[in-house]
Amino acid sequence: MQPLPVKMPLPCDFSLVAYYPMLIFLVIVIGLATVIMILAHIFNPRRITPVKQMPYESGMDPIGDARGKFDVRFYLVAILFLVFDVELLFLYPWAVATQGENPVIVGALRTIIFWEMLVFVGTLLLAWAVAWRKGVFQWR
Amino acid sequence: MDWNALIPLLVTLITIAVILGGVLGGVAYLTLLERKVSAWVQDRYGPNRVGFDFGQSWLWFLRKAWGLGQPLADGVKFLLKEDVIPGHVDKVFYLLAPMIAMGTALFAMGVVSIGDTPAPPALVMSKPIAGQEKSGINVLTFPTSIEDVKRLERSGELKGYVDQNEAYQKRWKFSINPGADIGFLFIFAVGSLAVYGIVLGGWSSNNKYSLLGSLRSSAQMISYEIPMGLSIVGVLILVGSLNLERIVDWQARNGWLAFYQPTALLLFLTAIFAECNRLPFDLPECEQELVGGYHTEYSAMKFAMFFLGEYTHMITTSFLTVALFLGGWHLPGLEAFLGADSYIALAAKLGLFMAKVGGVVMLFMMIRWTILRFKFNQLMNLAWKGMMPLGVLSLLGSMVVGQFGLSPWLLLPWSLAILLLVTALGAFLPAEDTKVHFKVTRGRAPSASGVVVRRPAGAEAV
Repeated sequence: MQPLPVKMPLPCDFSLVAYYPMLIFLVIVIGLATVIMILAHIFNPRRITPVKQMPYESGMDPIGDARGKFDVRFYLVAILFLVFDVELLFLYPWAVATQGENPVIVGALRTIIFWEMLVFVGTLLLAWAVAWRKGVFQWR
Repeated sequence: MDWNALIPLLVTLITIAVILGGVLGGVAYLTLLERKVSAWVQDRYGPNRVGFDFGQSWLWFLRKAWGLGQPLADGVKFLLKEDVIPGHVDKVFYLLAPMIAMGTALFAMGVVSIGDTPAPPALVMSKPIAGQEKSGINVLTFPTSIEDVKRLERSGELKGYVDQNEAYQKRWKFSINPGADIGFLFIFAVGSLAVYGIVLGGWSSNNKYSLLGSLRSSAQMISYEIPMGLSIVGVLILVGSLNLERIVDWQARNGWLAFYQPTALLLFLTAIFAECNRLPFDLPECEQELVGGYHTEYSAMKFAMFFLGEYTHMITTSFLTVALFLGGWHLPGLEAFLGADSYIALAAKLGLFMAKVGGVVMLFMMIRWTILRFKFNQLMNLAWKGMMPLGVLSLLGSMVVGQFGLSPWLLLPWSLAILLLVTALGAFLPAEDTKVHFKVTRGRAPSASGVVVRRPAGAEAV
């Protein structure tokens, strides 16, 4: 019995064991996908010809390799996604812990965290504005 | 051996079988529905030939059958067609990609409840710390087992949890994993994994079309995940839980979230359209430019698995939309009319949930055959310049309402106001200089200088 400085709204019998149906479901889904692949492999005919083995480029002989260089903008978007999505994931525990009908964190602490959260969202907006100003969202 | 301990396992297995069968059967018939809807939109008949007569004359009454045999015929065809694995592919990832695409879409159904699954009882107990009542920080003794809870109930510190829990255990649950507290977060996580199926499929194909399609797709999916996440935080602030059953339960008591946050609903719908690669956002596989996009090199069953994944994703996200914004199984007056717990009421709620999901799926399909495809720069503009600030503004409104305990109805005017504001501001943005074209002179060769030619200002787009 540990005294905590917060109140817990949920039954505290949390353990990973409660998620065993998910594990069974995962096993079944993977099994299903594998079985479908194996069935298709057994039933389908295979007549390999050199033309079928070529990469498809609208009927012409392929030019060069597909693994070339591509626009750096895709990486920029990926980095931005990383920044914003990770920031976003901080909002989830905040919303669950301090908001709603049975907040875990109440009182003065809740107010402090709220203002901190506003600053946090403000920082997010600032980063977004900087990225826009730098032309990350320009596609052509 | 205690056989009673196996009953929950059996229930789980049956639920999994029913939901998996339902989703896969639903997907098969959604492909037919899609073709029928497209036919109705374009004033055609659509598939209406394949019935269940299997060429037997004595089954004449099953012939044609409105084309209902089409999915079965398609499935058999997919199984028996030649499955070409081109010589230049990265074989491990090439085989793994369709499995990931299908598996992740199916796996996300794990926490979705398809009917009136009750929310687990809340364990509410708190006491101010002795001598620090003004701090507002409460204290809880943390029960680690059901024995602890019972002891606390006997001492009077906790009320009613054991009874509620017993009642909860007896109720029917229409979910593979009822009471999953990670709920939405799980779907968010598994849904993000779907990007891997597409990226691996495109990359391992070693084909330029595939690679371009998968690159576009990954950029699109990760861009739209942010507005999607932002629109959900508003829901979380009002409800205070990620548990989907609790969210539906909140809506049954306080009104559907679509009425409080129409902008969030709009953002969520747009984002899931993009996540599912459905038509206004189907750049990953736009036929005119990229042949088939990331599945250009896939054939037969592997191709079918990509489509299975896409349609399953559609079903899952439709369930989510209904559960998060459209009240789940709830309809005003239904419980007063049929009672809360009767079998008829449970069946009615199940049917109602399905009807709502069907409505969202129909919306998916009607939009696919109505709205034109975006260009890639428009797509990115919409996500980063339109939906992102809209999501943050919507979130700020929810934060203030949630923190200061204001009426959630205040969110409705706020929601509509920011929608109008952002749309109006969008009109004042400086137009982007995107009108860059290769000048095509005589036949197909680029212009003699080989340079990019800018169109004169005011010229019509071709």
